[in-house]
Amino acid sequence: MNNAFDLVEMLEGRRVVVVAGAGGVGKTTVSAALALGLAARGARVAVVTIDPARRLASALGIDDLGDTPHRVDPARVQAAGMRMEGTLDALQLDPQATFDRLVAREAPDEAAREKILRNRIYRHLSTAVAGAQEFMAVERLHELVDSGHYDAVVLDTPPARNALDFLDAPERMTRFVEGRGLRLLLGPRGGVGRTGWRALQAGGHMVMSVVERLTGAQLLTDISEFLQSFDGMYEGFSERASAVRFLLASDSSRFVVVTGPRPEPAGEAIALWRRLRDDRYPLGAVVVNRVHPQPGGADAPPAALAALLADAGAPDPEGLAARAADALAAARARSAADRHEIRAIAGALDAPPITTVPALDDDPVEVAGLARVTRELEGG
Amino acid sequence: MAMEGPPLIDRRMAFVLGKGGVGKTAVAAALALGLADAGHRTLLVEVGAETRTEALFGTAPALDEPVEVRPGLFALTVDAELATQEYLSIQLRVKPLVEMMARSRAFHQVTQAAPGLAELVTLGKIWDLATTVRDGAPVWDRLVVDSPATGHGIALLEAAGNARDLAGSGPIRDQAEAIEKVVRHPSATGIAVVAMPEDLAVTEAIEAVELLRARDMPVACAIANAVRRSAFSPADAQALRAVLAHSAAGDAERAAAAAAIAVTDGAHHDEREVEGLGRESGLPVAVLPHVPDLAPGSGGLEALSAALMRDPAVRGAG
Repeated sequence: MNNAFDLVEMLEGRRVVVVAGAGGVGKTTVSAALALGLAARGARVAVVTIDPARRLASALGIDDLGDTPHRVDPARVQAAGMRMEGTLDALQLDPQATFDRLVAREAPDEAAREKILRNRIYRHLSTAVAGAQEFMAVERLHELVDSGHYDAVVLDTPPARNALDFLDAPERMTRFVEGRGLRLLLGPRGGVGRTGWRALQAGGHMVMSVVERLTGAQLLTDISEFLQSFDGMYEGFSERASAVRFLLASDSSRFVVVTGPRPEPAGEAIALWRRLRDDRYPLGAVVVNRVHPQPGGADAPPAALAALLADAGAPDPEGLAARAADALAAARARSAADRHEIRAIAGALDAPPITTVPALDDDPVEVAGLARVTRELEGG
Repeated sequence: MAMEGPPLIDRRMAFVLGKGGVGKTAVAAALALGLADAGHRTLLVEVGAETRTEALFGTAPALDEPVEVRPGLFALTVDAELATQEYLSIQLRVKPLVEMMARSRAFHQVTQAAPGLAELVTLGKIWDLATTVRDGAPVWDRLVVDSPATGHGIALLEAAGNARDLAGSGPIRDQAEAIEKVVRHPSATGIAVVAMPEDLAVTEAIEAVELLRARDMPVACAIANAVRRSAFSPADAQALRAVLAHSAAGDAERAAAAAAIAVTDGAHHDEREVEGLGRESGLPVAVLPHVPDLAPGSGGLEALSAALMRDPAVRGAG
């Protein structure tokens, strides 16, 4: 299937490109290929991956893909037959490190900072609180855009059943840290404080004593300390949350939704696109990844193929010719099913810009492989 | 590396883990179906609000009560919020008190603020199902848990250990310890890590196995899903390649030969990935074919289940 437009060109000049979609559809590869295309055209680009992506790191020639941006050697890109006019940096999200920096920036003083970093609730936060990882991803995006080092940041979003969790993450996290209501109930040492006593009419005290009975006092003390240590920091948090939301909804951003040509990820992609459209986020395109190409040629008369196979010394030329014909029929069916799925996506979404990437036998392990994906995204 | 504990099908609780898109839910359903067919009263547990069991069995699992989807096979969705309420009613016994807790905004904020509490009650509910005894016999012979996608799936298994660290004292801590004992015990619990035969998916599965091992979790086996096989021998492949190079071959013959060669290449590729998965994880690897249609009535799930249940990586070498 030929792509009618150039996705890299469509994204040129945007400060943020968010790549979203169901798990397992090749978001990371598409993110890296788009970043490569933008960098090749002269932009200073950073690509942020959420999941550990060892193969991508080695494809880009980066030994330890981590929280600090690593520059991709332009010689590698040029060796892959691509002119590199700009720069490409890659980094992998480290949620805890990102949050530590946020705390360091927002904390009023050293003592407050240390208190938060030592708190047990805080230390479990990035792994255990739902949405924490998404929050950190958005925060890291904010940092990178703010740094002024990049013209464009390509964000490979966390895999989630609802791939849009991360859009709500900043506000959810801010609300959590704010912990209204709960703060009233917990005194400075945990357990039920005197303020709590006074503020409570609706049996809140009993609620807290029940919780205390079940969890022991320690947990409440920790939560109380945690919430208190964020005193005076909510403003900073919520300001950042709304700044990010504003940026993502502005014309400086584009959302790219990636899917495979199968009903399940396609269903998620359709839901995602609709939700983005309803919430007025700036839409880019749908990328259908790993599409089986249409085999060329007509169906071979088995006798003709069998004769050739006999010539080539095949042990059972007729049987082999029949099985080869089956393989061709299966390949045609697969390709037809893929095209059907692409039409279904187009139909469900009122013909959005759709671009396809053919199935490669392997995830790209070299810059050359990524460059191939880039060229497909540029319109093939 | 020697495998610790009995084969997966002999453990009371099986946790099926894997990244999104690897067919984890289908593998969990196939395992549960196979166990039920083998005569075990089996419960398939889905975690979280969204369910795929319905697409596989034609019957939706209920939130509060196991539903029989095949003879001897039941399905249940465990939801953290419901499990929390259930936990409270068991602990507090006084109904008005439970209702008050459930309504309390402050309580909801505590449950939100305590990291991993949702996972803990979910795991606690699963543990409770696994250990419930009626008339001197366990209610469920086997539980198969369709875990959330990897990162979160590990968080679920770790929930008890985390709770032990966070809750300094009190019943939750004691219960967490009891749960942790069962979850870590290789004769009671087995973890199966599902991967597709693709570079990235295999790398991620190996990383998940390393993480689980570092946390002393009883990993039983890996399962390679949707592995392509070839119906062509090396001699076939050689003849097919000769046809591609043959001057007398027309487009149609070339297309058929190329399609067949693509099948052998695909099968070789997958074989290498499966080997890599086994070598680097040190686990026995069950190999499942690619089953395009898993809809109820298609026979796809039954075929997947049969392939899984006869694989030595799952049933043991004997």
